[in-house]
Amino acid sequence: MIIPTMKSSTPVYISGYGGYVPKLRLPTSDIAKLWKGSGSGPNKTKSVANIDEDTTTMAVESARNALSMSGLCDIGAIFVGTESKPYAVKPTSTIVAQALGVHKTLAADFEFACKAGTEAMQVITGLVGSGMISSGIALGVDTAQGRPGDNLEYTASSAAAAFVLTNNSKRSVAKIEASTSYVTDTSDFWRRQTESFPRHLSRFTGEPAYFHHVESSVKQLLSEINLKPSDFKYAVFHQPNPKFPIQVAKRLGFTTEQIQPGLLNPIIGNPYSASSPLGLVSTFDVAKPGDRILLTSFGSGAGSDSFSLLVEDGILDKGPNYTPLTDIINNNKEIDYATYTKLRGILK
Amino acid sequence: MSVSYWRLRDRYYRIIGSICDSCNYESFPKFNTCPKCKSHDISDKEMPHTGKIISYTLSYESMPGFEHELPMSIGLIKLDNGVNIVSQLVDSEVEDIKINANVKAVFRKINADGNSGQIYYGYKFKVINA
Repeated sequence: MIIPTMKSSTPVYISGYGGYVPKLRLPTSDIAKLWKGSGSGPNKTKSVANIDEDTTTMAVESARNALSMSGLCDIGAIFVGTESKPYAVKPTSTIVAQALGVHKTLAADFEFACKAGTEAMQVITGLVGSGMISSGIALGVDTAQGRPGDNLEYTASSAAAAFVLTNNSKRSVAKIEASTSYVTDTSDFWRRQTESFPRHLSRFTGEPAYFHHVESSVKQLLSEINLKPSDFKYAVFHQPNPKFPIQVAKRLGFTTEQIQPGLLNPIIGNPYSASSPLGLVSTFDVAKPGDRILLTSFGSGAGSDSFSLLVEDGILDKGPNYTPLTDIINNNKEIDYATYTKLRGILK
Repeated sequence: MSVSYWRLRDRYYRIIGSICDSCNYESFPKFNTCPKCKSHDISDKEMPHTGKIISYTLSYESMPGFEHELPMSIGLIKLDNGVNIVSQLVDSEVEDIKINANVKAVFRKINADGNSGQIYYGYKFKVINA
């Protein structure tokens, strides 16, 4: 079943955004060398959280960047979308709130495989749009897990992205025009309680899962707001690998040029809940006022959220402390597979 | 998490120190009596998250629980307000850690009480503009 496109009754804006990518990179040729003797994964490298980094630390870093850009302090919600909470029971969001010095706020962790971050954006859009709160922070963050030797190990990576959503148009980076969501019960990828690594159904993750849900949510959005792919300057799709976003863009009528600024999988892999949100951060970094951006996530299980965003003048003033995502990504250091297993606690 | 660490979480999460309301002397960690003018009128103040290295060392020995982080760089840092702070230096190449190098605070895991216990978070610093 498709639910109608969601539009808030009063305008909701993004007034700050921030991305965080850990410094360490594992070449996928190192993974292939161990498990297959040679070759590489679909992406050249993947980002790896250091031994003292986890979902909480990356969430705090990206949220601090987003909050600094927005200049806002009246935060009424902090929602962390992730499937790699450091605690099974104890919210990540309260630690983020404490680290930001924000206490009179809603705080919760969301989980929906790789689309929990965009889900957080939709809920905060509703809270802000209804007038219940004036501003909130939505985060997509993960230290993604991949079983050693599994195909997922090549892509599963670490990163975070945060967005400050507000009713204050003063420093608007982009206006949220509308969004939609599409879900079905589709078991393409899952992780049971107490298990360390997820399982998946290999090729089944493509057609009935990723493509069906992404195409459904995008078509629904375009139909309801009466726009076509050529009305968008940029498009960002969830990136489980480098191929899927290019293929789905083509099927939907978007060009490779439209998705290029947000296509990060080839260099950082798939940071799950941070994948499409971080693609949006990268796209914001090159966008100009008047550009329209499509943001579409995908979460296994399965579902997809799509947003239409209209870039506004606030994009021209990112603040004195802002570091472009390209600079963060380019400041990296390669590690080998042995170091990776030590850092991520894979050797037990 | 030990109760003592929980009580000090703003010190570790946000680098909250103090400022004397009488003479504006700033300090980290917090004090109850101003060491400069002896006033008891003290307020909390978040310290700057940037500064410069004024001394450092590279340790090949660790306290229990930090063995996986060796070798560990430790810096004495002068924050932008002149207050000194000692911190682990992370994400920084050894050749970039030098006196007067610019540093910035980052939020990191400090330690954990084993696999089932609580996780301790706090500040560390990294070299920027190396």
